[in-house]
Amino acid sequence: MAKMCIGLYSGSIDKLTSAGVILSGAAADDMEVDVYVLLQAAQWFVKGNENNQPYLSEPSQGIDHFVNALKSVNSPTWMEYFAMAKEMTPVNIWVCSLAGKIWGGSKEEDMIDIVDGIIGIGEYIDAAKAADIHFLI
Amino acid sequence: MTEQELKALAIAKSVDARGTACPGPLLAAKKAIGEIEDGEIMEILSADAGTKKDIPKWAEKKGYDYLGDLEEDGYFKMYLRKN
Repeated sequence: MAKMCIGLYSGSIDKLTSAGVILSGAAADDMEVDVYVLLQAAQWFVKGNENNQPYLSEPSQGIDHFVNALKSVNSPTWMEYFAMAKEMTPVNIWVCSLAGKIWGGSKEEDMIDIVDGIIGIGEYIDAAKAADIHFLI
Repeated sequence: MTEQELKALAIAKSVDARGTACPGPLLAAKKAIGEIEDGEIMEILSADAGTKKDIPKWAEKKGYDYLGDLEEDGYFKMYLRKN
């Protein structure tokens, strides 16, 4: 089974959505995927941050425009993409321990349900080395 | 396959993914392929241009036979045989 590794550091919903679309492609291909959640992205994977204000990496576009455009083509949310991919192929989601602490989560029970565990940076590096495809988003 | 041959196929499963954009149709096809047996044919309806390239490539990677597509009004039908 081919392996994909995603280093997910951006917390912007456009990049999270991109990661979700790529995950969906990997799921269709039956790839095994490890997602390493780093820095800004970690806020959405730690419980208690659900009401944080969503933002874009290119704010000039306007978040309402982006969200409405996604809805107009019946696109799932980035979180729904992640959940669908996990149902279809082995997808492991790991939260960087530093990033978790930044956003108020230091234990696995502090994370949302789709998270598989907390890791250090060494595991991410090893997974990136072993992967057939590596994305940093 | 010719247009006539495609129209005459016995469809075991039809997936209407016209309401979704890429990667929705591909995911719908991936889910549905488990519901048919080897040798059976699946039809996928889509209005998404990217899907028209994705499905044949996906079928090739999975070892399915991509049989062709038919243009309809505002969408297309794609056919593959599971092996």
